[in-house]
Amino acid sequence: MTNATQVVSLRVSRRFTASAERVFDAWLDPERAGRFLFATPTGEMVRCEIDPRVGGQYRLVERRDGEDVEHLGEYREIDRPRRLVFTLSVPKYSSASTVITIEIAPLDTGCELTLTDESVPTEWADRNREGWTSILEGLAETVD
Amino acid sequence: MNDILDQTMTALAHPIRRAILERLMRGEARVTDLARPFKMSLNAVSKHIRVLERARLVRRRRVWREHRVSFNPEPLDEVSSWIEKRRAFWTQQLDALDALLTGEDADTHRPGPVK
Repeated sequence: MTNATQVVSLRVSRRFTASAERVFDAWLDPERAGRFLFATPTGEMVRCEIDPRVGGQYRLVERRDGEDVEHLGEYREIDRPRRLVFTLSVPKYSSASTVITIEIAPLDTGCELTLTDESVPTEWADRNREGWTSILEGLAETVD
Repeated sequence: MNDILDQTMTALAHPIRRAILERLMRGEARVTDLARPFKMSLNAVSKHIRVLERARLVRRRRVWREHRVSFNPEPLDEVSSWIEKRRAFWTQQLDALDALLTGEDADTHRPGPVK
């Protein structure tokens, strides 16, 4: 998706008992990232390269049923422990690239992480077929 | 995202095309009827309709000398189901991260393995 008018997207939040720093660091530490990020229960992580600086790239390759699935991207923002922004593409499945934003808010104990996946515009993220009608109606009014 | 979904979402990214779809949700229409509210040339509207056709969001049929256009909701269902899968994917990633960190905590509270 390249249209600039498309704002944010699909959002997932989760609370952690671990501190914001530990949760943040796990995304950039090759040893930890390789154990949760893009990892599937039956897959085997065969490569996990992370260059944790703005403009730096990462490459995680998981072997799934004998096939290597590569996850690639570049870090856009690194603001420990609050914010991490990186691009993501999975060439095996699509030529498209998306932007992932991780925001971490410290709590009294632990933290809350919100992940935003910009491959889906916000207004669409919670819609079923009925929901689309109202979106399209709303937009049509602004055009008429 | 796969390329078919990308095509659907690109088609939906334009306000005129969404307005055309909104109109078609109320029933089949002639291309000339679709052009009317937008103060656009027939040619410009036809281009938008072709983008929607490529994304399978509309079907076009010929009745005598007129083109009639109708809405096909299937690609929207595919987008919705893709979004659900994507949400499940990230939820699973965050679950795995939590399990990883919780596991580390448990390890530090337990005596280490005897070497």
